[in-house]
Amino acid sequence: MSKTDEVPHRFSKQGFSLEKAIRFFFASNAGLTIVILVLIIAFLLKEGLGFFPGYRRELEVYRIAGLEFVDLSRSNLTAHEQLSSVLNRAYFAQINGLCASELKRSQEAAAVFNAYSERSAATHDLIVSNLDAGIAPDSEMLATLRQNHAASTRKALAELPATPHLTRAERAALIQSIATREVSSKDDPPLVTALAAQYAAAQQTHAEPLAGLRGTLDAFDAAGTDLSALVSEMTVAVTATKEAIQAGDVLEKNRTTLVAAAAHAKTPAAREKLLADAQTSLAAKTDIDGPMQALMLRKPACIAAHADLRQACAGILDGLPAALSQPEAERLLRVARKAIPAFMANLEQAPQRIGQWRHDTPVPLTAAIGSFLTGKDWVTGGEWQDFYGILPLLVGSLMISLVALCLAIPAGVGAAIYVNQFASRLEQAVIKPVIEFIQAIPSVVLGFIGILVFGSVLRDISQFDSLAWVPGFPIEERLNIFTAGCLLALMSIPTIFTLAEDALNNVPAAYAEASDALGASRIQTSFRVIIPAAFSGILAAVLLGLGRVIGETMVVLLVAGNRIKIPDFSSGIGAFLQPSHTLTGIIAQELGEVPLGSVHYRALFVVGILLFAIVLGINATAHKFVSRSRH
Amino acid sequence: MNNPESLIRTGLPKGHGKDLAVRVLLAAGTYLIVIIAALLFCKIIKDGAPVLFTTKAPYVDLGFLLDKNETLHVFDDAQGQRHQLPASKYSEYVKHHAGATIYNEQTFSYSGGGIIGPIVGTVLLTVGSMVLALFFGVSAAIYLSEYARQSPFIHAVRLAILNLAGIPSIVFGLFGFSVFVLAVPVITSTPADRSLLILPLFFGDAVLSFQGWNSSLMAGCATLACMILPVIITASEESLRAVPQGFRDAALAMGATRWQAIRTCVLPFSIPGILTSSLLAITRVAGETAPIMFTAAVAAKDDLPWQALANPFDLLASQVQALPYHIYTLAARIPASEYTQRAQYGSVFVFLILVASLSFGSMLLRAKLRSKLKW
Amino acid sequence: MKTISVLISATAMLAMANAQTLSLKGSDTLGAKLVPQLAEGFKAAGNTNVKFEIAAEGSTTAFPALANGTAQLGMSSRKVKDEERTYCHAQGVALTEYQICYDMICVIVNKNSPLAKLTSAQVAKIFTGQVKDWSEIGGAPGKISIYTRNTSSGTYKDWQHLAMGGRDYPSSALKMAGNEQIAQEVAKNKSGIGYVGLAYAKTSGTKALAIDGLEPVAKNAEKYPYSRSCFLYAPEKPIAEASAFIAYIESPAGQGIVRSVGFIPFKDLK
Repeated sequence: MSKTDEVPHRFSKQGFSLEKAIRFFFASNAGLTIVILVLIIAFLLKEGLGFFPGYRRELEVYRIAGLEFVDLSRSNLTAHEQLSSVLNRAYFAQINGLCASELKRSQEAAAVFNAYSERSAATHDLIVSNLDAGIAPDSEMLATLRQNHAASTRKALAELPATPHLTRAERAALIQSIATREVSSKDDPPLVTALAAQYAAAQQTHAEPLAGLRGTLDAFDAAGTDLSALVSEMTVAVTATKEAIQAGDVLEKNRTTLVAAAAHAKTPAAREKLLADAQTSLAAKTDIDGPMQALMLRKPACIAAHADLRQACAGILDGLPAALSQPEAERLLRVARKAIPAFMANLEQAPQRIGQWRHDTPVPLTAAIGSFLTGKDWVTGGEWQDFYGILPLLVGSLMISLVALCLAIPAGVGAAIYVNQFASRLEQAVIKPVIEFIQAIPSVVLGFIGILVFGSVLRDISQFDSLAWVPGFPIEERLNIFTAGCLLALMSIPTIFTLAEDALNNVPAAYAEASDALGASRIQTSFRVIIPAAFSGILAAVLLGLGRVIGETMVVLLVAGNRIKIPDFSSGIGAFLQPSHTLTGIIAQELGEVPLGSVHYRALFVVGILLFAIVLGINATAHKFVSRSRH
Repeated sequence: MNNPESLIRTGLPKGHGKDLAVRVLLAAGTYLIVIIAALLFCKIIKDGAPVLFTTKAPYVDLGFLLDKNETLHVFDDAQGQRHQLPASKYSEYVKHHAGATIYNEQTFSYSGGGIIGPIVGTVLLTVGSMVLALFFGVSAAIYLSEYARQSPFIHAVRLAILNLAGIPSIVFGLFGFSVFVLAVPVITSTPADRSLLILPLFFGDAVLSFQGWNSSLMAGCATLACMILPVIITASEESLRAVPQGFRDAALAMGATRWQAIRTCVLPFSIPGILTSSLLAITRVAGETAPIMFTAAVAAKDDLPWQALANPFDLLASQVQALPYHIYTLAARIPASEYTQRAQYGSVFVFLILVASLSFGSMLLRAKLRSKLKW
Repeated sequence: MKTISVLISATAMLAMANAQTLSLKGSDTLGAKLVPQLAEGFKAAGNTNVKFEIAAEGSTTAFPALANGTAQLGMSSRKVKDEERTYCHAQGVALTEYQICYDMICVIVNKNSPLAKLTSAQVAKIFTGQVKDWSEIGGAPGKISIYTRNTSSGTYKDWQHLAMGGRDYPSSALKMAGNEQIAQEVAKNKSGIGYVGLAYAKTSGTKALAIDGLEPVAKNAEKYPYSRSCFLYAPEKPIAEASAFIAYIESPAGQGIVRSVGFIPFKDLK
């Protein structure tokens, strides 16, 4: 817009002038944005890039110390344990299914008593502690306390949980026994004890016909003992090697740190001291070949243990019953049957893998990068081995965004269409400020609502028997992907709404007028003319909403449940009701806790780089759509 | 066909039912959002308002606003009377009733006393970051709207603004942590080991050490200022461009230099607009948690930032509590019970009132400005 | 405006030393409840000129903070590792260790669970994910939800060492920021299990289990399988306020607070 100083006029002052200085000052402030952006990228890279070499070294130690070798056997052992757990669950599901009514009755009675003791604990403990302190049994104070206790008992008894499986008489008897209970009594009410005994007896009865299955299961459990002992033995050995290698690395690093510190030391005495320390920190070269040879000697034993396990399992698993009568037990049995072929195949391949494993196969840098990008485990701060696999976090972030967008797109775009096309002026004056207010709610407040209110409400709703058909219901964790997605949807609605409404506004009035003139109805004009014309703008709004959702931190940190695991998709859509962790959440949760400069610290910066790239990509696409939508 | 009136359709047009259905559906969706928002506000107001407001004069529980944050002690005395006392009052109670036994004692961190620390911290962070962001942001906007021509530099600046605006707040947290906390220069006599570069300054044993400001008020302000800068620049540029070109031309025609024209004929008319839109930016700065988690915030601090300082500059180097971080702590670190509810909902309520009044104020000002400034 | 910018850059350049601030960083087990109350007690005992800053993100955070001087005392629910000690040493900070109390890690379950005791073998099986359903160990049928601390916590590592034989946590475990949060989730989830410090074992809605027949109470501290010491770490020559604070903790008044919060004072054992 200004054309004054494009070509300096021949009369204009040459050289330095105040005017030029001012101009330069403003220009440098504008350049500050570029500086900040460059600094962000530079520092993310500076802290993050050291991750891959560091992680490569960790993976290398994992191999040369023999941890990888032990994990070959351990993975089969874990599979065996899992299979055993599933079969055990099937067994108990069968028994508990058969004595379901005893179980429910016992649980309900116990729940009533627990609810009572919870509510009256305060006054009860007061009496007991005073009695213990030796208060006179007929003192006035004790009488007051007893009165208080009686009052709280009455209040507690008025608000007991429902007991649909107890008869009215039983409930009355239970309440009666609670009401007349001695303060000093430590026993459960008779009905609670009786029902627990009944349940135990029923379990016993129903377990008898299943004795054969029990025997099979115990034999299956026992089949793993040899391998398990071998693995524990090797674990001790390789952990020692790993610690020795790491201690060597640490000593070496210390030596360099101390020498560097000595170079900066202020007084000669301090320098001498640091140098002397550095001398003592000189590491003897860690011996890795000796332990490795010892480990390799176990190869035949490992292979033999695998063969034994395979043989034992093959025999035992044939002895499983064809079917179980209880649906849950039958389901678990089917799960086990489905898992068995893979388990046996793994056992079969194990000897070959163990035989071929070599500790001196080099670990290239690409292995570290690959393990980061495609790893399914994010395990940190453990005693065994740290893994930094991004997939669980990425999948969590994406699933939460998916839920949020599925809710926010219809709501946000719908509201924009309604407000822009159909609403009266008065409605506009109400709706727009309210949605703008939603934008002003800080995300931590939404997270707070999620953790204190929404999550619990959602779980309570999911526990209604009439809603049991919904996949994933009843939910186990109140903090999960769906809860977080709902709150993020609320957060992104204002963004989507405002931008989509702008896009609709930007459609030239002539379009609508032409459509009206051709006799189109209001709906036809909106949906056939205006919305298609604004489509790329609306798409941009949705993308910018997505960028906001993926980058949001506090809500997911508080509400997503923080379980670092790819959700179990075998439960279908119920996977969205499981907890998960996110890219943003992991940075916020772990950055404050990691030692500066460690591999874990750098891993978090790499996650930051990834997040930065994803969001920039989304925004760039969105702005492409925005520029296309200008009419 | 003799009667042309028979051509005019009467009654409801074809497809009216569908028409209506679509409208109702859209309206229902829209009002659902409004209702959810209203429910949310109601829940917070219902549980939070009783904490802040009392039925007796002065109708506001000043203690909650002005007391320091403390641990809450809940206990019964021997008479079965239940007490809820913040730590300072609790120790007085214990002193007065020496020898009396206390039963069923429970303690709740961060739940007693008031929230003056977080309020003050948020105000300091907001003021500091807004001063920085307004100074640099308005200057940048002046350049963009008054001086700049099409050039690769301007193109790069606009691209940078666009990209900065989209960066997630947690990435700003990482940036602030790695730059302001760990790598910016300070003058010190004891350089830390992590310093990137150490330059001697030749007076005393002072050196310029690139070791960062540690987690401190100024690191937090700088991080927040970087985050809000694109918003301020965009809004300021809009206000500057809204001033008619004629104002500038007239000033320049009278022989004013460009800076004089800007100073006297452009800035005064755009300042109300700039301030209005920066109110909205304040709501964002005040509400952000992720950027200050690692750069400035601390969960517990028993004095106000300016108390017991050796010199006034220490204020900038001290860590502060902040309302959003306090709410995070209250939501994540302590259990929800009848005793912690006061602290939890009270803090959220105060925070929401603060943010809502800022955003409402900006809405009102904007409306007023629109009706007042017309060229 | 220019003066402001000059002022800001000038202040930003100044490094500062806070004489009377006592900044403590580290373990949540200690820093969420015990240390704030000790600090309040310390101030009530007449030391009003000391300013406390307490950040409790996990034991791992204590040592870097001590090394770079951002904390005067580090709280830790585990012993310092060799590499951490050397790291501090290289920065010119020689660590001194103060054992301030004993803690027991309690296994808690929901109040409504019929279980009252477990063996340590069962605990290991549950927390390593070998056992996935309560019915497998005699509880009411239901999938076990495991709540653990997050990775920086000393408790997280102690538990792995003491109870799980060094094996990894299963990925199904939920990581919580603090003891209170674990207790709160277990209180709300009838199939939840978690571990917390002794001070948090009495949260309403939960109950602590006896392990190998030993109730988690102070008198069993030495036999209980999951006992550990808690430490404060300070530089070799701590500032006067830090020494005074440590002396206060070791005094009878301080140890009384330790006891009332739910930790076990050392003198009770000797």
